[in-house]
Amino acid sequence: MSKLKETIINPIFRDNPIAVLILGICSSLAVTVQLNGACVMALSVTIVTGLSSFVCSIIRNTIPNRVRIIVQLVVVALMVILVDQVLKAYMYPVEKQLSVYIGLIITNCIVMGRIEAFALGNKPIPSLLDGLANGVGYGLILVIVAFFRELLGSGTLFGMQVLPAGYEPNGLVILPPFALILLGCVIWVHRAIYKDLQEK
Amino acid sequence: MNTNSNVYTIIYTAVVVVIVAAVLAVAAMAFKPMQTANIKAETLSQMMVAAGLGTMDEFQEIGNDNVLVKYSENIEEAFTVNLDGDKVADLRTDKDNIELVDNFKPQDIAIKNHGEATLPVYRFKSGATVIPIYGAGLWGPVWGYIALDKDYSTILGVYFDHSGETPGLGSKIKDDPEFQAQFIGKSFNLENAANPFDIVKGGAPEGDMHAVDAISGSTMTCRGLDVGIDLWIGAYSNYLVKAAAAGNATAEASTATEE
Repeated sequence: MSKLKETIINPIFRDNPIAVLILGICSSLAVTVQLNGACVMALSVTIVTGLSSFVCSIIRNTIPNRVRIIVQLVVVALMVILVDQVLKAYMYPVEKQLSVYIGLIITNCIVMGRIEAFALGNKPIPSLLDGLANGVGYGLILVIVAFFRELLGSGTLFGMQVLPAGYEPNGLVILPPFALILLGCVIWVHRAIYKDLQEK
Repeated sequence: MNTNSNVYTIIYTAVVVVIVAAVLAVAAMAFKPMQTANIKAETLSQMMVAAGLGTMDEFQEIGNDNVLVKYSENIEEAFTVNLDGDKVADLRTDKDNIELVDNFKPQDIAIKNHGEATLPVYRFKSGATVIPIYGAGLWGPVWGYIALDKDYSTILGVYFDHSGETPGLGSKIKDDPEFQAQFIGKSFNLENAANPFDIVKGGAPEGDMHAVDAISGSTMTCRGLDVGIDLWIGAYSNYLVKAAAAGNATAEASTATEE
């Protein structure tokens, strides 16, 4: 596999930021009650991670080493506020539903983690792809968790009734602890597929 | 070039901050009109939900423009009143120029100082009269719309909203349909303008027509809402009493003609 292809494919499956790096857990518990919110959150994080990595990679040789974290933070904050503004203008109900979690993308370790680990040492285009791929990897887990939580917790998918009316929605599934259990199961499956990641 | 010198570091960070600030300023101005339209449609939706004309989901589904249409179709009249209960000015209700008084902060200050408040009253064709309330929650403002029946004291419906109450606790004033449903059928005690309504921690006394149960775990939010309701309904009380008296007079006049 070529290096560029690895940059794109690995973060989505083998080196998934949630399943392997265990980053971004907080928001993945909070916004996965409904698929709709999870998808918008996934998209927002993907865009923020991609663009922040891209911009930081462009200016990587000019950043003074002593203040590099602060400069990265400013860039990430800029992207987060822009995404928030766009959502407020075009997807107002979703923005209200995700409320603080959009603003909290800035604290999502995936964003800063990828800038520190990848963007500062690589050219802009691979950095952009790495950022986007990590966002997609994060989003993939989010959607998987949200799929089960909305299906079992509300009997719906994207707000549409799929389970028969007789199904009694499971209240536990809606609560954050179940998201953690489900996330554990996802990581379990992930480790079963990629056996070399298992710790002896 | 030495990117680690003090001078470089200071200049670099200053330039970065200025660029970022400029980008954000431009973005904020560019998106402002759409965001304002969204907020306006949301305000109208919340008033119509309180008045029982639909649910929040329905209004989100039909889109901003149709919300404006629906509002102007259903509104009878909108105007502002002062603290003495006298009408100050009309608010426009035609679809393209809907006027609202939705900046509650200055009104709240005016009420507290017994100043020149201009309080909005929205009368719908269904007979419901919608008035806003505003108070201080735990983390930020809480506000809402209360729809009153033709007697100007019985509650037909409410819709509360907040800017940042704790999700799952304080946010229930908005998200918990059972909390809002409790208000329906209750009424304001306008004879006691200082405390026309209570949200009672630990549960309202059985049969009390002027109180509902507070939400467990949201003491501060409910207290803020309670204080806000008392203050604003108190401010409206002169108007509500006058309007109810006028309503009774009209009703008697019409029965007299029928006889």
